[in-house]
Amino acid sequence: MLALRHTFAAKLLILLVGLVAAAQLVTGLIVSRANLSEARSQIATDLHRATTAFTNIVNDRNTLLADGGTTAAGDYALKPLFANPEDTDTLASALTSIALRVHADLVIALALDGHTLASAPTGDIPGGVLRQLIAQAEHDESPTPRATGYGYHRGQLHSLVLVPVRAPEIVAWLVLGFRIDRELTQRLNEQTGIDLTFADQDDQVIASSLAPRLAHDLLASPLRPKRASGVATVPLAGEDALVVAYNLPAGDARHATLYLQYSLDEKLRATRATRDVILVVSLGSLAVALYLGRRFAARLSQPIVELVGHTQRIARGDYSVRNTAYRDDEFGRLSEAFDQMSRGLDERDRVRDLLDKNVSPEIAAQLLRDGAALGGEERQVTVLFADLRGFTALSENLPAPAVIALLNRYLDRMSLALEAHGGVIDKYIGDAIMALFGAPVAQGDDADRALAAALAMEKALATLNAELAAEGKTALRIGIGINTARVVAGNIGSARRLNYSVIGDGVNVAARVEALTRNPDYRATIITTAATLAARRPSDLQTPAPNYDSRSPFSHGPHSISLRPLGIVPIKGRAEPVEIFSVE
Amino acid sequence: MSRFVLRSPTRALLCTGALTLAAFTPRAFAEGSVQVSVKDHKGAPISDAVVSLVALDSPPALHPPVEPLVITQRDQEFEPYVTALVVGSRVSFPNRDAIRHQVYSISKPKKFEIPLYGAGAGETITFDQPGIVSLGCNIHDWMSAHIVVLETPFFMKTPADGLAALASLPPGRYRLDVWHPRLFTDVQREVVISATDSATQTIAVTLKPDRRLRRAPDGAGGGYK
Repeated sequence: MLALRHTFAAKLLILLVGLVAAAQLVTGLIVSRANLSEARSQIATDLHRATTAFTNIVNDRNTLLADGGTTAAGDYALKPLFANPEDTDTLASALTSIALRVHADLVIALALDGHTLASAPTGDIPGGVLRQLIAQAEHDESPTPRATGYGYHRGQLHSLVLVPVRAPEIVAWLVLGFRIDRELTQRLNEQTGIDLTFADQDDQVIASSLAPRLAHDLLASPLRPKRASGVATVPLAGEDALVVAYNLPAGDARHATLYLQYSLDEKLRATRATRDVILVVSLGSLAVALYLGRRFAARLSQPIVELVGHTQRIARGDYSVRNTAYRDDEFGRLSEAFDQMSRGLDERDRVRDLLDKNVSPEIAAQLLRDGAALGGEERQVTVLFADLRGFTALSENLPAPAVIALLNRYLDRMSLALEAHGGVIDKYIGDAIMALFGAPVAQGDDADRALAAALAMEKALATLNAELAAEGKTALRIGIGINTARVVAGNIGSARRLNYSVIGDGVNVAARVEALTRNPDYRATIITTAATLAARRPSDLQTPAPNYDSRSPFSHGPHSISLRPLGIVPIKGRAEPVEIFSVE
Repeated sequence: MSRFVLRSPTRALLCTGALTLAAFTPRAFAEGSVQVSVKDHKGAPISDAVVSLVALDSPPALHPPVEPLVITQRDQEFEPYVTALVVGSRVSFPNRDAIRHQVYSISKPKKFEIPLYGAGAGETITFDQPGIVSLGCNIHDWMSAHIVVLETPFFMKTPADGLAALASLPPGRYRLDVWHPRLFTDVQREVVISATDSATQTIAVTLKPDRRLRRAPDGAGGGYK
């Protein structure tokens, strides 16, 4: 992967997959938070509804008991028992009968002053609850005053309702109650789905729809809500339960608390199942994104990879590479442009190659550098002319291909010798060679190199002649003229075709001097002028010049040069005579 | 809770009544007289209050009327609501309705029951113990009436104007009693009646809210509650 990171495809892939993964992660988090918030909100609503359901059930039951109690107390036979309660035993048994009639768990008869006349079953309700109920009813100005509350009877929590006994004035009070027990919690649990637990003021379970151990754990938890303090989160049986508390006052210093709860985990289970499905879908889509991303990235980067390979091949000089197919996008256009470029490079390379063959490498370099512009400059150049003696006569006795072969063989050897000494071959003129030293690039020792090149040519010809002799062919003879002068150098020709060359009187002098080698009186193969000798490097000026009167050998490189003055001769087409020397 | 009546908007539970006593000077027989005005604290007259004077020095002889007093049952109501009488008086309970009634009392001074009976004079009951007797009809819970059995001939029930004028009173000390069905506590006060002097006293009383059951209008059971 580390290595992959350096490819475009891998970066693209990481970007794509990373984007998909990040989007899914963020979406997942948002959905998860929303689910949690929604679940909490739903549970809070459910708990509130359950609380309402509890109060409604209690109210309905109270109303039933109150109505039943009122009806039962209206029994004419019972009225005297309330008004004249000398016989409390009879009253108590009558209360038992009322309890049976109205399905009350508890029936108590109270005198108007609040004292208990009789109770069925027997037992009192502590905390002044009954007097509080009467006070509450006294404040009720309606013809049917009623009061409700909670109280402990024989240690059990009861919901109580108080109604008047009339004959027809209010002659007594009747209290009816029903027990808050497990049956009630289970009924409410079935109705609302909420678990309920009633606890007394000492946090002992009165009744609960929960398993006893869970109810105990709930009441033992310090996290459980206090009276009406909102929704609390209590860990129960390994899950988080949301709990609300509802206070039930049951007289002085007594109360009961109703805890309503629902498991948050239970509520989230459905969404968790959905979340798991989403997770699977997410992983699947991530895998698909990975697969598609890889394919896409590979497709996208394939032309780039190809282009990289091609670029490397081109850098190595292989211009033959071409792209296989062009796509219809930017990459396709890039490939096309790249191919055009490599074609251009190939063409240019071949042009350069041809140029090198047609002109000397120095001129080719100068042309490539400065461009093929017409015009020139005046500079000092040493011009060398070489010509075969009697080649015309020789060529007449040979078939044309043999002539060309021999000529090429000769020119090749001469050119090698010239180029070995930095000479620039200006042109071939039939069997003649025109070479330049000091153009297009001056090197300071141009005259010396020209003289050394001439000697090297003479030596190369000797070698060639030895080969020709071995082949049974006629030996070749050469004449070389060298002159140094200031000439005009540059691209000469038309706008469509031009040559780099030099023109000037000095060029003619070199040609004339070469022609002088034909003069048998001079017995010279190489003739140079005083101007060339004067142009030699100062370090090489071992012999005075001009006006040599004796052989004055000097050395240049591996060659040793001897000069033999041939005198001052007139040159055709030139007013001034020129002092010439034979170079040996 | 209130099934049949609307709760009164204000807690007019306790009403304060004022009793104004004015002594008269009789011209011919040296007998005193007194006028009692029963009002609540707003000055509104209170009817159906029984004002009685019990002589503390020499109780006069009681002479119950020969003819029985009448408490009728008409339109499923007792009429009158409050009846004051001296000990030994008889009361008849004629039924003027087409339906039957069952009159009863479980009050200590007189417990009785007249089983269901139709239109007609009905039974006559003698009230021979002083005290308050609450009457009801056992099959019509809203029917209610009170009989105040007194041991003095000097009494009067206040009419709509709340005024009770008691005359022909021998001078002397009296206990003035005022009773009303909604009285919170009994009013008792000692007064002296003379033939010449006149005296004015003010007594504060409190009334309970009227908790009489009322008949439900037709079809006004309340529906689901």
